[in-house]
Amino acid sequence: MRILIADDHPIVRHGLKQMLAGDPSATVVGEATNGDEALELARKVEWDMAIFDFTMPGRSGLDLLGDMKKEFPGRPVLILSMHSEDVHGSRVLRGGAAGYITKDSAPQELATAVRKVANGGKYVSASLAEILASECSSDPQKALHEKLSDREYRVMWLLATGKQISEIAKEMGLSPSTVSTYRTRILRKLGLTSNAALVHYAVRHQLVG
Amino acid sequence: MNDVAQFHDLHAEQRSEGEQVEKAKILLVDDEPKSLFALQELLSTLGQNLMVAQSGEEALRLALKNDFAVLLLDVRMPGIDGFETARLIRSRERSKSTPIIFLTAAADEMTSMFRGYEVGAVDYLMKPVIPEVLKSKVAVFVELFRKSERLRESEDKLRRLAAHLISIREEERAHIAREIHDELGQVLTGLKMEVTWLAKRLKDKPLIDKTDSMCALIDSSVQTVRKIATGLRPEMLDDMGLVAAVGWQAKEFQKRTGIRCRLKLPAETKFDIEISTTMFRIFQEILTNVARHARATRVDIELALRDSEVLLDVVDNGVGIQDTELTGKKSLGLLGMQERALLFGGDVKITGSPGHGTRVSVNIPLSRKAK
Repeated sequence: MRILIADDHPIVRHGLKQMLAGDPSATVVGEATNGDEALELARKVEWDMAIFDFTMPGRSGLDLLGDMKKEFPGRPVLILSMHSEDVHGSRVLRGGAAGYITKDSAPQELATAVRKVANGGKYVSASLAEILASECSSDPQKALHEKLSDREYRVMWLLATGKQISEIAKEMGLSPSTVSTYRTRILRKLGLTSNAALVHYAVRHQLVG
Repeated sequence: MNDVAQFHDLHAEQRSEGEQVEKAKILLVDDEPKSLFALQELLSTLGQNLMVAQSGEEALRLALKNDFAVLLLDVRMPGIDGFETARLIRSRERSKSTPIIFLTAAADEMTSMFRGYEVGAVDYLMKPVIPEVLKSKVAVFVELFRKSERLRESEDKLRRLAAHLISIREEERAHIAREIHDELGQVLTGLKMEVTWLAKRLKDKPLIDKTDSMCALIDSSVQTVRKIATGLRPEMLDDMGLVAAVGWQAKEFQKRTGIRCRLKLPAETKFDIEISTTMFRIFQEILTNVARHARATRVDIELALRDSEVLLDVVDNGVGIQDTELTGKKSLGLLGMQERALLFGGDVKITGSPGHGTRVSVNIPLSRKAK
């Protein structure tokens, strides 16, 4: 497995090499410090897969990925990034990358990704998979909280962030009994029975943050 | 007499200081060449730029191309008379507030005087005019003209200064965000790799626990770095463009406030980064206002890209902004949005009605670059 790596930070390249050294089947055949260099290198040396940083000086990100896919359509490019998955993840995969890994993910994850990609597969982390899944459920009406009215939604959010009925009433300019009625209705619509379950629901569906 | 001399001297002084004071233009309109000549002679000592017209038509033509400090207008002229000339001149945007002094024969009635004031006269002098009175009055208007010019200039300077500050702040934010995110972030990444390397070689349980907790600390530092950098300048904006950034910001807003956002976005595309940044910052300011004042439960956001402009429409269902809030002292945020848009020849319109929410519409032309 001949691997190209590109990252503008020596410390990251160093760490990458160190980690890849643990895999006897992997050899780093070239290192680049920016996008243009990476592209040039890819034309010069023989390689099987590339691990590129998403943000580098010069051509980088989706543009560089696009160039790579155009020139070397069959060969996998694994994107390494400082950015969290919800920002760029799905776009990078749609852009043709074989995988997307954030730099703070565990090194074991990187090893897994390299192996998977080397075998012709795609690597998607658990959290990115979740994001992709939620993007795929193209019919948003299916989610129970989409059935809430705008006002119910806001009451739900306030409850989920730990606000008391009286605080919610004040914040929204409603009477406490109205808020209580909303609460009952929300729990019924979401099929829940307690505030704790509601908090759990909101966290699971990433409605609070 | 003294007044006139003083005004006159003041300008002479300014000129002698080397400050390039452009002469103020004064338009004299009279169908009698003799009267015109007399007026010119009389006012020449003011040292201003005197222009003459012998008919209403000619005066109108000149008023189209020049900004006059004051107009001296004879009431009785063949063709378009003085009143009609004044009315036409004042009906044009450029000259709608040009001061007009009517000159009329003493025999004219008081009624004609009222007519003069109706069409925008600031003064009314009987012929034959008393030279000193006329000179002094004209000098006052010249001075007034200069003052408003200076005011306009200083407004312009303030606006340019504000623009400069906005762009400096934006640059600085982007720079700091990049430094923090790239440098600090990468060092943390490297550090984590090193710690992991170390951890693999450890056999001692307490030592492995230590490296585990070090990794956890590094992870949370990376999160913090990300949060700070994104707060300063969302990487989305530079990497993916305005459309993606607006979508992302709306989602974040909904998560952070529980106020539902409905989005209508065009296909993702990247265009001029400065215009994108401007639009994005205005959008953030709008959302901040919604969260702070609107008591809304829903925001409808529509972004549209046309050939020549980018449009943003944000409507909430909150309490609705009051007219007094639009102009009040606390409306600096609104002023800031307006200024940002204006920099690119754009415009921000805010309308609200009590109980029916607030609508903010922003348009920025794509063709015109910042001044």
